Amino acid sequence: MQRFDAAVIGAGVLGCFAARELSRYKIDTVLFEAREDVCTGVTRANTAVVYPGYDHKPGTLKAEMTVRANASFNRLCEELDVPFSRCGSLMLSYGQKADEVLRKKLRQGLVNGVPGLRLLSPEETYAMEPGLAPGLSTALYSPSAGTVNPWQLGIAACENAVQNGVQLRLNTRVIAMHADAGGFVLETDRGTFAVKAVLNCAGLASDVVQELLFPSAVHIVPTAGDYLVLDRACAQMPARIIEYEPEDGTKGLTAVPTVEGSLLLGTTERINTVCYATEESGISEVKAMAVRLFPGLDCNDVIRSFAAVRPNPMSRNGKDINSFCIEHPAKLFWSLIGIKTPGLTCARELGFYLAGRLAEEMAAEANSQFDPVRHGIRSVRGLSFVERESLVRQNSDYGEIICFCEDITRAEVLEAIRRGAVTVDGVKRRIGTGMGRCQGARCGQKIAAMLSEQLGISESAVMKDGPGSVIVRAGHEKL
Amino acid sequence: MRSCKLLIVGAGAAGMSAALSAWEAGCRDIILADRASRPGGILHQCIHEGFGRRESGSELTGPEYAAMLAGKLERSGVTFLPDTDVLSVEADKTAVCSGKSGLERICFEQIILASGCRERTIGSLPVAGTRPAGIFTAGQAQELINLRHLDPGNEVLILGSGDLGMIMARRFTLEGRHVIAVLEQEAQYGGMARNFHRCIEAFSIPLRCRMTIKQIHGENRICGVTAEHIDSGEREFIACDTLVTALGLIPERELCCKGVEGEKWLYLAGNCRKVHDIVDSAAADGERIGKMAASGFYM
Repeated sequence: MQRFDAAVIGAGVLGCFAARELSRYKIDTVLFEAREDVCTGVTRANTAVVYPGYDHKPGTLKAEMTVRANASFNRLCEELDVPFSRCGSLMLSYGQKADEVLRKKLRQGLVNGVPGLRLLSPEETYAMEPGLAPGLSTALYSPSAGTVNPWQLGIAACENAVQNGVQLRLNTRVIAMHADAGGFVLETDRGTFAVKAVLNCAGLASDVVQELLFPSAVHIVPTAGDYLVLDRACAQMPARIIEYEPEDGTKGLTAVPTVEGSLLLGTTERINTVCYATEESGISEVKAMAVRLFPGLDCNDVIRSFAAVRPNPMSRNGKDINSFCIEHPAKLFWSLIGIKTPGLTCARELGFYLAGRLAEEMAAEANSQFDPVRHGIRSVRGLSFVERESLVRQNSDYGEIICFCEDITRAEVLEAIRRGAVTVDGVKRRIGTGMGRCQGARCGQKIAAMLSEQLGISESAVMKDGPGSVIVRAGHEKL
Repeated sequence: MRSCKLLIVGAGAAGMSAALSAWEAGCRDIILADRASRPGGILHQCIHEGFGRRESGSELTGPEYAAMLAGKLERSGVTFLPDTDVLSVEADKTAVCSGKSGLERICFEQIILASGCRERTIGSLPVAGTRPAGIFTAGQAQELINLRHLDPGNEVLILGSGDLGMIMARRFTLEGRHVIAVLEQEAQYGGMARNFHRCIEAFSIPLRCRMTIKQIHGENRICGVTAEHIDSGEREFIACDTLVTALGLIPERELCCKGVEGEKWLYLAGNCRKVHDIVDSAAADGERIGKMAASGFYM
């Protein structure tokens, strides 16, 4: 039996930050992930917005955390070396009802302490975003809103956690738990672990994980959302995040100019059917709304559609829960159950909060060796000639381009593999390969070949994403 | 800094033809740069016949045609620059190139972009459903089979009956794979009649017109699609373990961006200028543009 002070269950963006924040203390931590890599669940598909905090009722944990998290996002992304764009956001109104909603959000935001929040006239709005449809009545401008790549943030947090002593156990599913005198015993499919404390960050399965040992007042009903990604060369690319909820109560739209340079369009939620599958109606709704809002937009610029799944928390009597559900069924056992929007924004704050409470319960000392700085994978994209030239001179692999669309080199792919990518999509989540207009049609197999070579496995054993996502076969085995 | 009178980006059929015709027209200072270590571009994976009718009078395979052009290139004084990615073309008539040996600027007087085209992917449709493994563009499948000797799958459905779609239907069949059908949204096949006869008819591969795909199924690897009969709206599930998309080609003009677009020293040739039906026409286009660029020096 292996022993640790604390176990974090689930290595999505929440679990990775919980582990990273725990490593600020002298708490020997293990981070369990059932899949072959981190950030493959809820984190992998997300609106990627760092919210300013005007959406939540004053005095709530969500409001307080979102505003605080947003304010410290630059520092966090500098520490973790993750691209962050504080591009600002505009929430649009095309009618009286929405005007009223925006005024309410403004008041709420001002009480919450959201900086720079103000209502704009149509003239001011069109000056900022000339591509918007005519007929605007007003817009709520929030300069502090921003966007970050969710999986890059989660992976960075995980790397920083490991750097500070956290042990990451991939392919390890917790299947049973029981309490004993020393704390908790976790049965996994890779052995038994004895720990003093448990942080449950299991995302879509967080209610089930808590129920391994305690009843859960909250249960998760997944909801889904459909998204489109448009090429960076698309017409009408907004400079800011655009949010719109129509007067008639139909689905709204969020348009995000991402840190990668593409345009992400997403709707509000629908009932989840198949995990991570888009729906026809969802896709056509996003398209219709996008064209309505940006009349010059050309849907031929779409390069991808995907679906997100959100862990929607519900009470046992079937009511939606709007606040963050932080369950504490016993001393030294904490669960984050159903953390959805703005979970990405607050991931670090939630981790910090949990780690702090746990450290208190354990009377743990601070870890004076904690280093918050993580270095990202050096990329060539956007470098000046001189910088790029010197990089190629140091390492000739920086001269060979693997992903043409996104300008990503062999050196970057090799470093992604060295840092733990074991699938083609694992490489994508670390460095962005295949995210451009050809969607990996040209680089996918080159990356699979590099994975095969570096990991010492056959090319037919290289997966696209999770287990079973075989790309090419060996011999005549059945797929 | 290296310099030349004429820089050509891309050593496929169009780029090689442009280099050869510019050389023959008297331009004596030509660099032909390509990402790959040998000239030929996409021709290497086109192992079927039907190339180089103009020059050879017979039907060569892609690799044979590439070898023929490469041979001529070698006998000319055109400098071939292998393993070189042209990253950008600047308004001061320099091109930034990246390769294993480093980053360099090549200074030119005129430039021909012959960077070909890329394939439209399923993401651009877009189709509903999951995003499993087992979905390939036709060109990608062609590369896997013909150049990498890998096996993309067994029960193959092909979407799009352009030339590439039909050629890959035959290729999979010749590899002993089962091509379930080629789906086509129009009322007739999209490619040339000769490819229809040689690839589809000759192998009795079902071509199903006025059909499209509405949904992808399969969590990890594709297990089927929901197809729709466009006219009746009727739907059916078609089981497959591989989906090959031949949805058309888009000229690759990333290098021809703001700041240099429209400059009279910049030419587009071959599929980079406009998508051609057959390689021979792309090559003829390259030839014409090469001559035109060369005449720019001797007007």
